[in-house]
Amino acid sequence: MSGAVLYNYDLDIDCYTVRMIAGCLGIALDLRQVDLYPGHKHLSPKMRALSPQGRLPVLVEDALVLTQPLAIILHLAETRCPDHPLLPQDAITGARMLDWMTFAAREMGVAAEARATAMLDAPGDLAALKDRAKRAFRLLDDHLTLQGFDGLGFVAGPEVTLADLMLFAPFALSRDFGLDHDAFPALRLWARRVRATPGFSTMPGIPDER
Amino acid sequence: MTINGWFPLALSGSIPPGIPAGAIVKGTEIVVWRDQAGEAHAWEDRCPHRGMKMSFGVVRGDHIACLYHGWQYGPDGQCRKIPAHPDLDVPRSICVKTYGAAEAGGMIWAGLGAPGDAPVLPEATGVRSLYVDVPLNTALAALPSAFDAGGMTARGPVVTLDTRWGTLRIGLQEIGEAQCALHVTAAGNPGAEARAGIARAATRLRDSVESGTDTGVAA
Repeated sequence: MSGAVLYNYDLDIDCYTVRMIAGCLGIALDLRQVDLYPGHKHLSPKMRALSPQGRLPVLVEDALVLTQPLAIILHLAETRCPDHPLLPQDAITGARMLDWMTFAAREMGVAAEARATAMLDAPGDLAALKDRAKRAFRLLDDHLTLQGFDGLGFVAGPEVTLADLMLFAPFALSRDFGLDHDAFPALRLWARRVRATPGFSTMPGIPDER
Repeated sequence: MTINGWFPLALSGSIPPGIPAGAIVKGTEIVVWRDQAGEAHAWEDRCPHRGMKMSFGVVRGDHIACLYHGWQYGPDGQCRKIPAHPDLDVPRSICVKTYGAAEAGGMIWAGLGAPGDAPVLPEATGVRSLYVDVPLNTALAALPSAFDAGGMTARGPVVTLDTRWGTLRIGLQEIGEAQCALHVTAAGNPGAEARAGIARAATRLRDSVESGTDTGVAA
């Protein structure tokens, strides 16, 4: 298997999530920097050929090109380290993880959009995106509150999985688009636990609390 | 506007050492944090340097550091260290405004203005804090039916409900004219099932008052 190339912009939420998870999994990525802002190079003909919808990150591995964070993360984990503790070995926990990874990609993806609109000149209705992000945060806060009563510290069960790592950044960086953490006490406690994952790394905007 | 009194800000268990949180009482922005010795603090949520919210900062040991430039403040609100000027003896005039802080009934309280005596409440188990985008009075009116309560009594910013889960005490935090928080606690030490039942009832209350629908407990 040849090395995986990740087309990356350091300040993008999805790029950070993939880099951070690769670090937790112990996978080295060959990073290629793309000037998303202010250069808008993710929309260049060369990048459009890889990612027609103009998204970052993009993972390229031989003939395989992946443009969705969920697919990139699962592919890396399943091909490089299928026995890693971040990947549940029982089918039920695995299904729960996938459920919350999809929630991260869809509902929580709104937070990444809101942040890109507020900071990186992306088009969008910031007030509407912020309201939808808040509703997604509430659903996650409700879920983690109930998990806590059963002694479960993470979204899929008692142990941290890829789903928690994928949900982390949209919450941690929400102040970048004006959504405070005041109203999400269960998320504040959970985010602290997620940070303790071996191999975890930060990005600008996420203070290193260690 | 000057506010006087004690106001609940959070459940005690929601503020471990190391994680500061922002809380707003009638428009007054407060940072609540806990030092390594376990003592809770409530301060104005503003670094005197550049006005950054202290609740965005980091708690290390017995001090809290601003996210912007790392100015460090001790438990008395005094600035102790300015990293850009490590040899500077920091003037006493650089300090964050502090409020009274107390813990009672499983909640952390801030004493604003001339607050008077700190609250005294029986010990309780924190269940969950609920943030609702309606005026406090709207949420208050919906409480008895939401928890299927036999009766409700109010004393200051705390209401007491008799429910199937036993006695619930709920701390009321008026954030602004159209936002409030309910800090729900239960007497004694209810089990996981009871706490989940209380939390679910609280969630239904939030969803129903925000959408303006009936708040009755689902069967």
